[in-house]
Amino acid sequence: MSHFYHFDTLALHAGQTVDGEFGARATPIYQTTSYVFPDTDTASSIFNLERGGHAYSRITNPTVAVLEQRIAALEGGSAAVCTASGMAATFVAITAILGQGDHIIASTQMYGGNISLMKNTLPRFGITTTFVDPTDVAAFADAIQDNTRLIYGELIGNPGLDILDLDGIVAISDEHHIPFMVDATFNTPYLCKCFDYGVNITIHSITKWMGGHGLAIGGVVVDGGNFDWGATDKYPTITEPYAPFSGLNIWEEFGPSAFATRIRAEAMRDFGATMSPMTAFLLLQGLETLSLRMDRHLSNTKELLDFLSNHDSVSWVSHPDLPSHSSHKLAKKYLPKGAGSIVSFGVKGGRDAGKAFIENVSLASHLANVGDAKTLIIHPATTTHSRIDAEALVAAGITEDMVRLSVGLEDVKDIKADFEDGFRAAKKIAKA
Amino acid sequence: MGFSTRQIHAGVTPDPLTGSILTPIYQTTTYVQPSVDEYMSKGYSYSRSGNPTVRALELKLADLEGGVDCICFGTGMAAIQGVMLAFLNAGDHAIISDVAYGGTYRLCTKVLSRFGIEFTFADGSDPDAVAAAVRDNTKLFLTETPANPTMKCSDISAISKIAKKAGAIHAVDNTFLTPYFQLPLTLGADLSIHSTTKYMDGHNATVGGAVISATQEHSDAVAFIQNSTGSIMSPQVAWLTSQGCKTLSLRMDAQSAIAMTLAKHLETHPKVEQVCYPGLESFAQHELASRQASGYGAMFWFEVKGGLAAGKKLMDNIDVFSLAENLGSLESLITHPVTMTHADVEEAERKRVGIIDGLVRVSVGLEDVEDLIDALDKALEQV
Repeated sequence: MSHFYHFDTLALHAGQTVDGEFGARATPIYQTTSYVFPDTDTASSIFNLERGGHAYSRITNPTVAVLEQRIAALEGGSAAVCTASGMAATFVAITAILGQGDHIIASTQMYGGNISLMKNTLPRFGITTTFVDPTDVAAFADAIQDNTRLIYGELIGNPGLDILDLDGIVAISDEHHIPFMVDATFNTPYLCKCFDYGVNITIHSITKWMGGHGLAIGGVVVDGGNFDWGATDKYPTITEPYAPFSGLNIWEEFGPSAFATRIRAEAMRDFGATMSPMTAFLLLQGLETLSLRMDRHLSNTKELLDFLSNHDSVSWVSHPDLPSHSSHKLAKKYLPKGAGSIVSFGVKGGRDAGKAFIENVSLASHLANVGDAKTLIIHPATTTHSRIDAEALVAAGITEDMVRLSVGLEDVKDIKADFEDGFRAAKKIAKA
Repeated sequence: MGFSTRQIHAGVTPDPLTGSILTPIYQTTTYVQPSVDEYMSKGYSYSRSGNPTVRALELKLADLEGGVDCICFGTGMAAIQGVMLAFLNAGDHAIISDVAYGGTYRLCTKVLSRFGIEFTFADGSDPDAVAAAVRDNTKLFLTETPANPTMKCSDISAISKIAKKAGAIHAVDNTFLTPYFQLPLTLGADLSIHSTTKYMDGHNATVGGAVISATQEHSDAVAFIQNSTGSIMSPQVAWLTSQGCKTLSLRMDAQSAIAMTLAKHLETHPKVEQVCYPGLESFAQHELASRQASGYGAMFWFEVKGGLAAGKKLMDNIDVFSLAENLGSLESLITHPVTMTHADVEEAERKRVGIIDGLVRVSVGLEDVEDLIDALDKALEQV
C-alpha cells in the first residue's frame, strides 16, 4: 500500500491488518514470549526462514512487526527492524555487514554515543573509523580505503546542526560501491526521505520525534532495498552462504530486504536487543501524529529563532534555517519544510551565564533527551558529549557556552516567558 | 482438572492468527465489522461492552469459582455496586453482614440509601439473626466471610438457605480466601464477588473487581449494569491479573503458611493481648472456618497490650511491613482499620461489631518468615 497512500495515511494505517479474530481497530499488544505451532513442519519452516511467522518474541513479534512495517512504509524502504534503543539499531546495522579488518567513514558531528561506539568500542573488534568534517564532501572521498565498508552520518549533525550533502556523498558511495547509512533521527521521514536521494540505510532513535512523547526507548534500522550487495565480494555476510541456516544465501533469497533479514537472522537472534511489544504499541500511538507534531515543532522553532536572534542576552544562535548557518543552502534543499527543532545558542557571559540560564528556566526541562513533546534544554559540553576529548569536542562544533534546545509543543508564548526568566538570571551573572 | 492447571489454562486459547501462547492485550476501543449483516459476528463491537483480553480473564475466573459466567469491573467496589444495582430497586431491602469492608458499608449507608434502598447490617455469624432481619422486600444478601477486618466468619450454606427461602439473591465477597480455599457457589451462594486487586493480581499492580454467577440469567443482569454504568476493567489490567492468577494457589499456600506461623508466634508474645486468625484453635469460629474452606488465608489481626497508643507506636516503628492500605499482595502490609480502611464507619457501629481501637490488621506477604518475625519482635520491643 505504501506506493498508493500519502504520508499521514501511512502513519495511521501502514503495517496493520485489522485483527482477524475480533476485528480490533487498534493493534493488539502481543505481550507473549512464544507462539504455539500448528505442527512440526510449520515450526521447522519458520525456524529456517522458509516462511514468515512468529516463533519467539526475541526475533519477531506481531505488535513490533506493525511498527516495523509502518516505519518502512514512511521511509519508503523495503523492510525495517526495531531494536531496544537507537544505539542498538546503530550497532546491529554496522555489525550486520562489518567485521574485523573493516573500516567506516563517519561524520565528526554525531551524537556522543555514536562517536563513542566507533571510537572506543568497535576498534576492540577490529573495526576502525575515520571521522571527517561533514561539510566537506571531498573529505569523504579522500578517506576511502580498500577496506572501507560503510559511510555513516547524521543528516542533521548533533549538535552543530550541519547538514550532510546527500547528493555529494551518494555520488562517492555509489562510485566506490559502499553503502551509505544515515542516522535520520533529527529529521524523521516527514522532513526528509533519505532513500529518495540514494541513501541505502537509515537509523532512527524512535525514542525521539517518531515516538514523540519521551515515554519509551526504541530504535529502528530501515533497509532502503536499493543497494546491490552482490555486485562485489565485499559483503560476505549478505552474499555468502550463512552456516546457521544450512548455508542459506540471504542475498539470493531475500534480495531487496537482504540487509534487514541478516539483522533479523543474526543480530536479533544472537544479540537480542529486542524491542518490547508494549514499547512498540506506545511508539505506534506517537507515530500516528508525527506530521502534526513536526509541523508544530517547526512553527515553534521558527518563532523561537526570531526571539533568540533578537535577544540582547544571546551571543549567537545556530539553526540551519537561519541564513547565517553554514548549511543553510543544504537545509533548503533537503529539508524544505524546516531543518528540525533542535536549536543551539550561546548565552552572553560564557559558561557561568549558560549555567545560570539553564538553572533558572522552569518550563523547559533540563535533561539528556531530544524530540520530546516538552521543551528540553541541556549543556552538551558537560553532559551528552562529556565522554569525548577536547579535540573531538571542537570538531563536533561544541562550545562551552552552548545551550542545546529541543523545542517542544507548548504554547510558544510560554516558552518565551520561561526563557526571559533564565536570561534575567544569566544577565546578573554576566554583570557580576 | 485440578485448580493449579485451571488457574493457568482456563480462558486462554492460543491466538489463532499467530499462535501467541498468551492472550494479546487488545488495547482497542472498537472492532471493525466485516459487513452490516455480519455485525457482531466476531463477538465484539465496542470495548465498554466487551473486550477479548478482559473476556479471557472472565472465563478463567468463572472456571476457578465453578460458576457459569463472570463479569469483570474496574474495581472491587464497582463489582459490589454492580451487584447491588442489578438486583435492588427503590423500595427493596438488602441484608449485609455487619462486618464488611468500610467501602461496602459506605456505599450502602451513604450512597445507595439516597436511591431508596434499605439496608440491614446483621450478624452473619448468627444465622438466626440473619433470618430475623428478613423482610417482605428483602432481595439481596451480601456476606463477607471472613470479614474485613475482624475475621468474623459467616456460614455460607446456612445463609444461602435463608436467602433461597426469602426468594433473594445471596452474594458472597470471596476476596479474602479466593476460590482456591473457598467456593461460595458450591456452598449454595448465587454470586461470588472479588476485589481482583487483592490475591487474584497478587502483585499490587492493578485495581479491579469481578462477579462470578451460578446462573447465566444472573450474570446477564450484572453484565447489563456493567455495560450501562460503564464501570469496566481495562485490557491492561485484565492481562496483568490473568498473569497473577497463574500463581494463585502457590501464593495462597505459601502466604497462609506464613500467616499461621506469625499468628502462633504473636499469640505467645507477652506484649500481645490477643491474636485473631481463623487457623488458630483459639479462634472462636475455628470449626466453621475449617468446615467451609480448605485454608485460612493470609489475613489476621492482633491487639497490642496498651491499646491504641501502643498499636500506633508499633505500626510507626515496624520494618519490612509497609504501612499501607490494600491487602493480598506479595508485600506484607500492616494497617490500622479505625483510622484507615474503616474510618467511614461510625464509632458506635465499629464498637458494636468489634472493630476495636487497638486492632492492627496484617496482610501477610511472601517475605522470609524469619524476617517478618524479626520485624514484629523489634517493633514490639519499642512498645
